[in-house]
Amino acid sequence: MAGSVSRRGFLGGAAAASVAGTVAWAPGRAWADPVPPARIRLSVNGKPYELDADPGVTLLDALRERIGLTGTKKGCDRGQCGACTVHVDGRRVVSCLTLAITCVGKNVTTIEGIADGDALHPVQQAFVDCDGFQCGFCTSGQIMSAVEVVSDRSVHTDDDIREAMSGNICRCGAYSNIVDAVKQARGEK
Amino acid sequence: MTVSLSRVESRLKVTGGAVFAADNVATAYGYLVTSTIALGTVTAMDATAALAAPGVLAVYTPFNPLKLFGYGDNSTDETAPVLQDNGVRYNGQVIGMVVADTFEHARDAASLIAPTYDVKPGNVDFAAGVATATPTSSPVAEVLAPGVTSIDAALAASDVTVSAVYTTPHQHHNPMEPHAAVAVWTDDRLTLYTATQGVMNVVSHMARALGVDQSKVHVVNPYVGGAFGGKIGNWAHVPLAAAAARALGRPVKVALTREQTFAVSGHRPPSHQTVTLGAAKDGTLVAIKHEGVSGKSQSGPSMENVANQSLTTYASPNLHVTRAFVPLDVSAMTPMRAPGETHGAFALESAMDELAFKLGMDPLALRQKNYAVKVPNSGNPWSSKHLDECYTAGASAFGWDKRNPVPGSVRDGDWLVGLGTATATYPASRSKSTIKVRLQADGTAVVSGTGADLGTGQFTVFAILGAQALGIPAGSIVPELGDSSLPVATPAGGSTSTSSNGPAVLAAADAAKAALIAQAATNPASPFNGKTPTYANGMVSADGVSMSFGSLLTAMDLPAVEGTSSLPSGTTKGYGYLSFGAHFCEVRVNRWTGEPRVSRWLTVIDAGTIVNEKTARSQVLGAVVMGIGGALLEDSRVEPDTGRYAGANMAAYLVPVNADIPHVDVQFLNYPDTVFSPLGARGLGELGIVGVAGAVANAVHNATGKRVRDLPITLDKLL
Repeated sequence: MAGSVSRRGFLGGAAAASVAGTVAWAPGRAWADPVPPARIRLSVNGKPYELDADPGVTLLDALRERIGLTGTKKGCDRGQCGACTVHVDGRRVVSCLTLAITCVGKNVTTIEGIADGDALHPVQQAFVDCDGFQCGFCTSGQIMSAVEVVSDRSVHTDDDIREAMSGNICRCGAYSNIVDAVKQARGEK
Repeated sequence: MTVSLSRVESRLKVTGGAVFAADNVATAYGYLVTSTIALGTVTAMDATAALAAPGVLAVYTPFNPLKLFGYGDNSTDETAPVLQDNGVRYNGQVIGMVVADTFEHARDAASLIAPTYDVKPGNVDFAAGVATATPTSSPVAEVLAPGVTSIDAALAASDVTVSAVYTTPHQHHNPMEPHAAVAVWTDDRLTLYTATQGVMNVVSHMARALGVDQSKVHVVNPYVGGAFGGKIGNWAHVPLAAAAARALGRPVKVALTREQTFAVSGHRPPSHQTVTLGAAKDGTLVAIKHEGVSGKSQSGPSMENVANQSLTTYASPNLHVTRAFVPLDVSAMTPMRAPGETHGAFALESAMDELAFKLGMDPLALRQKNYAVKVPNSGNPWSSKHLDECYTAGASAFGWDKRNPVPGSVRDGDWLVGLGTATATYPASRSKSTIKVRLQADGTAVVSGTGADLGTGQFTVFAILGAQALGIPAGSIVPELGDSSLPVATPAGGSTSTSSNGPAVLAAADAAKAALIAQAATNPASPFNGKTPTYANGMVSADGVSMSFGSLLTAMDLPAVEGTSSLPSGTTKGYGYLSFGAHFCEVRVNRWTGEPRVSRWLTVIDAGTIVNEKTARSQVLGAVVMGIGGALLEDSRVEPDTGRYAGANMAAYLVPVNADIPHVDVQFLNYPDTVFSPLGARGLGELGIVGVAGAVANAVHNATGKRVRDLPITLDKLL
């Protein structure tokens, strides 16, 4: 590596060589100069956080790897499983498909932020009572979804609950118990 | 006495406080590079661009490997250690790792690496290899009645026979927690936080891989985000994280992406089964011939002996089972929930339904007619068997007598409705287990061992059994597991956790009580010194004086007394040990679209003592849900040209979501199996999935008249 070669110029050459030598489907590409880190100010569970990160950082990775709130889980990183569900301004979102920088000026709520001190949120208590989980890995996302579903006036029947909770996969298969937990939290049990 | 206790770790799991492997802190992140061909060699991996990318600390490839020793012989791990040669044995094999200061930097730099390959044609088509399958080292198991010359002779002499081929696809565990490892070295000592079903398995295999003494490796993993067999193996990311952390002198975190888990972390092999049943006109089975072929990866030893299910399920004077495999250039296989039994029971239970239909007999009555009073392939008695009660109690609760035997005759609007049943069986066994009970001066008791709680409820089982044995509230028990520094208990696998660790908890509690009493009688500071104290319900008493063990320890100025007990593996010879169950389900198939939906479910379980009804019910519920996934949804296709799992994500590899699952009812008979163990609990984690796909297929037939013998039962097969 010649030290005098600029990163951009050098990498452009490397990319061309790499493409020529490639037989598989994944071609090499140049590393575009990275976007400089952005100052991202977030409000999470009512507390301010400030981080310098690539604007491409997801809310999920910002929460887990930079802020240290690891209760929100990464199950698929592409919006298919719901394990990373959090609330942004009171609405559930999958944080793996939400860029942290788009949450500036909004209120982010995670599983760590819904209990009232030592008193569990009624949905958390219902999940305990109804055994709405086994391994617990999808549970943060399930509960964050359920908190919204409990107050969703368009949800009436058990089938409505099942449909509304179907964005959150539970491979342990606690679904019947999750439906029971949502019903308990709605005051129906 | 039925106990139904919420999980002791519930609060941590509903508040986000349970620390899973990837939740541990590292200062560097590894991102894996995987192969895109099925077979061949990597001829070059230009890492120049990746090394120059922002934040990159190192790039490891077969041409710049981290040294690892082989550790995978004769185990559930891959045979060859990662990066130690440039061979590609399957698509998705780990062929490199980028380590960077952030996850994003590592991921982005990994995308800059473009391997070149020398490609060879891979053998990835299971179906194409069935005709020339390789027999295993134990290719046939057979029982023939006196005077019968062959299984085919027995079948030929039967009044009625049915014979059909049943096929099942590759399936993937897909625990919600993708495998992850965080490796932290302090001088020459490694602490490894890694998602595993058994921390001691990690210690022994990673010590070998890294070339260090086992005493230098500490594995910590109290919370496991589901596993189902897929976290027995030490997959490529584990030694890579550890070796990279050692090389770089900083903690390294490596988490598989969901896509990577499909190839990197094992899966259930496909099967091809031919089942031929012969029976007398009254339904009495004369012969069962079950020919099983499993896929087997060239990269690991695991496969499934699917046909074995027919050796022990139904009474038949003639049994014949074969075992063979198709070697495939696909990723390593590994046990997945009831490995062998799940797919084997789909074939056998479907075949029984086909026989019942041909005989014009109720399918439940056929099962009862061929009830195995003794173990079919040995003649031994069962340790305990109440499957007959599962059948009758289930039939009554489910309303089986309302089943219309004529297929396609029950309609509810646009839906054709059918009922199906199947038998569940799963072997019970006990492994060696050492448990420690530590009575502490604060009145609590720690129950500890290296076992795992994958969501199974093992923490709570420790608490309940410790509480029962010590006569104190479960809330006073501190259960500890998932840490290699604890006494070596049984890991999670083969449904042996509670069956093995449970009796050891009881024995260790007795040892702790004995140690306490000995101290009480001899310690000069003990008020019971020189007396013969006794222990009951947390209190030590003698001569009308009583003290709690906490107060006594405080009086003696002791922080704790401990008792440790080791129980051996194995059970009394001469018995058959199985857990049993009966499934009943209602399926609806749309008349116009063919869409199948499970609408009602009941499973009745005979698994011996149920330690905690609440978590046991969840285990069975979850197993049924996974079984419904296998019956209706789960289907991993291998791309012929590349050997790639074409649907390696959760939008393409469908597992059940909430809307796919009706209310599932689970009942337990709860008869202690005291031949099996003093506790009488046989094990539960896998039993519930066995037979589910058969019950669904049978209900689909009853609803539509269509017999689907190829899983999953998707709507295209019903149109």
